[in-house]
Amino acid sequence: MSKRVYISLTFILLLGSISTVMAQGHNSLIIADDRLVLQIDLKSTQKQLDSILDVAGISRANTEKLSQGNFNVLKDDGWNFGEKNGNLIRFERSLADLSNNPQSRPYRITIRIPSLDGKPGYPTPVNYGINKFSKITVYELASGLTRFILPGYERSKRVFLSGSFNNWSTLKGLMKRADGGWLLDVKLEPGACEYKFISDGRWTTDPDNLIQTNDGAGNVNSVYYKYNYTFKLSGYPSAHKIAVAGEFNNWNPDELSLAKKDNTWQLQMYLSEGKHLYYFMVDGKRITDPLNQHKENNTAGDLCSVLKIGETVTFKLDGYSEAKKITVSGSFNNWDENALQMQRIANRWVLPETFPAGNYSYGFIVDGTSITDPQNPLTIFEKGEMKSFLALKPTHYFILKGYGNAKKVTLHGSFNSWEPHGYTMARKGDDWIIGFNLKPGKYLYKFIVDDRWILDPGNKFWEQNEFNTGNSVLWVE
Amino acid sequence: MRKFYLLVIVFISFCSFVSATKRVSIGNIVFKNAIVDPDPAPTADFKTLIVPIKRAGNLIVIEASVDTLEGNFVLDTGETYFRNYPKIEDKDVTGITGASAGSFATYVHNFSILDLQYSRLTAQVTDLSFIENGRHMKILGLLGTRLFSKFALTVDLFRNVLYIQKLDKDGNIPETERIYHDRFMVSPFRLLNDVIFLKGEVNNNTYWFAFDTAAETNLLDYKKTKKIMSSMQIIGRSELTGVGGSIFEVIYARFDELIVGDRTFMKNRVLLTSLEKMGNSYGYSVDGVLGYDFFARGIFTINFSKKELEMYIYTAQ
Repeated sequence: MSKRVYISLTFILLLGSISTVMAQGHNSLIIADDRLVLQIDLKSTQKQLDSILDVAGISRANTEKLSQGNFNVLKDDGWNFGEKNGNLIRFERSLADLSNNPQSRPYRITIRIPSLDGKPGYPTPVNYGINKFSKITVYELASGLTRFILPGYERSKRVFLSGSFNNWSTLKGLMKRADGGWLLDVKLEPGACEYKFISDGRWTTDPDNLIQTNDGAGNVNSVYYKYNYTFKLSGYPSAHKIAVAGEFNNWNPDELSLAKKDNTWQLQMYLSEGKHLYYFMVDGKRITDPLNQHKENNTAGDLCSVLKIGETVTFKLDGYSEAKKITVSGSFNNWDENALQMQRIANRWVLPETFPAGNYSYGFIVDGTSITDPQNPLTIFEKGEMKSFLALKPTHYFILKGYGNAKKVTLHGSFNSWEPHGYTMARKGDDWIIGFNLKPGKYLYKFIVDDRWILDPGNKFWEQNEFNTGNSVLWVE
Repeated sequence: MRKFYLLVIVFISFCSFVSATKRVSIGNIVFKNAIVDPDPAPTADFKTLIVPIKRAGNLIVIEASVDTLEGNFVLDTGETYFRNYPKIEDKDVTGITGASAGSFATYVHNFSILDLQYSRLTAQVTDLSFIENGRHMKILGLLGTRLFSKFALTVDLFRNVLYIQKLDKDGNIPETERIYHDRFMVSPFRLLNDVIFLKGEVNNNTYWFAFDTAAETNLLDYKKTKKIMSSMQIIGRSELTGVGGSIFEVIYARFDELIVGDRTFMKNRVLLTSLEKMGNSYGYSVDGVLGYDFFARGIFTINFSKKELEMYIYTAQ
């Protein structure tokens, strides 16, 4: 180590002006003499080593090799071994690479910073939700639309409703002036939505909605749940309190009370898609749902009712009459090979099942051997072999027209990280087709027709890619 | 007398020629002396226009309309850009080669930000897909501050509101329209090629910074600021992927003292890189860029008429 660097290092360390991030033990990263100088104390703890490697932009995978004395591991990354002095090792790298920045505008640099990535203002999925209003100003209409009302603000020139359901548009949700306030009807999907009002340019939460959330980026938004399920229990006219408790609310017996309406105890709420175990608590006594025949024990050994919300699919497999046991195993059940057993009916194996809407890969396990679904031409390469592909509640169909003579067409895109095998599409006459359940956002994709990459000729929108060959662009709103 | 008139006509023609000639390129064809009419002044039926802001990362996004199309625009310094959505013909599907590279000028009619309406607006059309891909938001373009050259712009990131205000004959926001009063910083700036340049000091060295609302961090040109490197605390290093998949290295650092105007800002974060290409693009060499880390310290007002940047403290008003 040159004297000057060593002296300056020691000086800085003595001054204590290096933060805890840098100065863990004798670990440091500084700029000196036009070089980036990394000093590592081999006696540091694993955590300290990880931390200094993070700061230096070096993969943590190298920590162990470094501690074992393999100093060459940083060479490939452009670091030169400088010196070893006892437990202290020093690496250096030229800062000449810093000059290699072809970006001509600041945003062209800073947009590349991944840590600023993120999507605040869009609710993370929740198991269940119940609204809490001081005065009901948001409610469901018979048409299926949801009405939002903002009382007051009569002097405002314009009021908008903006939220996760309209991409937080500040122009699309123009509210109508109504008696003593403003209103707008919007179409919502079941689940949580975050929203705010904009009165003459100023954002405001819903004054009557008691549920608010911090979006993690410094903003507070109101939260509304569009309901999709009603728990009902008939009878029990003299009961004082009836509540529902389930896995979804961690079996809390006091939280979700049913109200008596027309001789039936009821509770409307949002419940996420998937399988839910629950029971009713009638004046402190546990009962299962008399209207629901499906029952199972929970992990505590209590008998519960079973509710499945989502899309129902019937798996079918013809033949295999000699087989003893056939199950369905897929990404929907974490590839459990035993849980979903098919039933044999005549010459066919059948299993109806309900899963949340989404995209899944699956296969049949025939007496221990995995096969794809012979009736399903859609396939995907996963876990080292071909699997069948299934989209429940598809929101978009990719259709390639005019390639009737092609032998094989696959779809590749950002939705599966451009996995090289892609999704095998199904032939339908002269067209090739595959449906997907895609969440709102931007998707880039291409087709491979008999080993030839092509853009989607049915989609005029594309953008340039790093290979200068373009990708088709799909925005799902 | 006839000679005099002739001279006047020649002079006027010369002036208009100078002011209205421009290098215009459409695709690969460059028109060196194309005559460009300046855009007519906008219609602004307000004293103060309040525009809600949205955020994507550290970008400031506002919605605007072009005819019937509504969409997101990033608030940027300088020129206005529209996102280029190239369209393909069926015969092109197997290979697009560089067709979207570069940018070209265009103009649109009926561009409006609420009550601020431009009957015609000239803009560059360029590929902005990387902004969409980086911040997951559909972007129609970048709104250059040049659009607001007759106004004062105030950005309140705490309440996510942008104020566009008309100025009085002295170039001030009229007293009755002033929204914020606790000013803690004022600095003059130079407007060169639509870029705001501010003088600042880092650890007792004077530098010229471009002020940029679309810069999500502060930037420093490594070569120009080498002598203050010993006082920088390095907090990270990473490789970013730029245009066409090119990789470039940046270093994140922290430093104590930044003086802008009459105010010292402590604990500043900055990204060290080369700003040489940026300087070429601006037409003026630049030592650094003051971005989000700087302007998020307060509510800021850019007064294009007085060429002043002001900052106000966040209050609970």
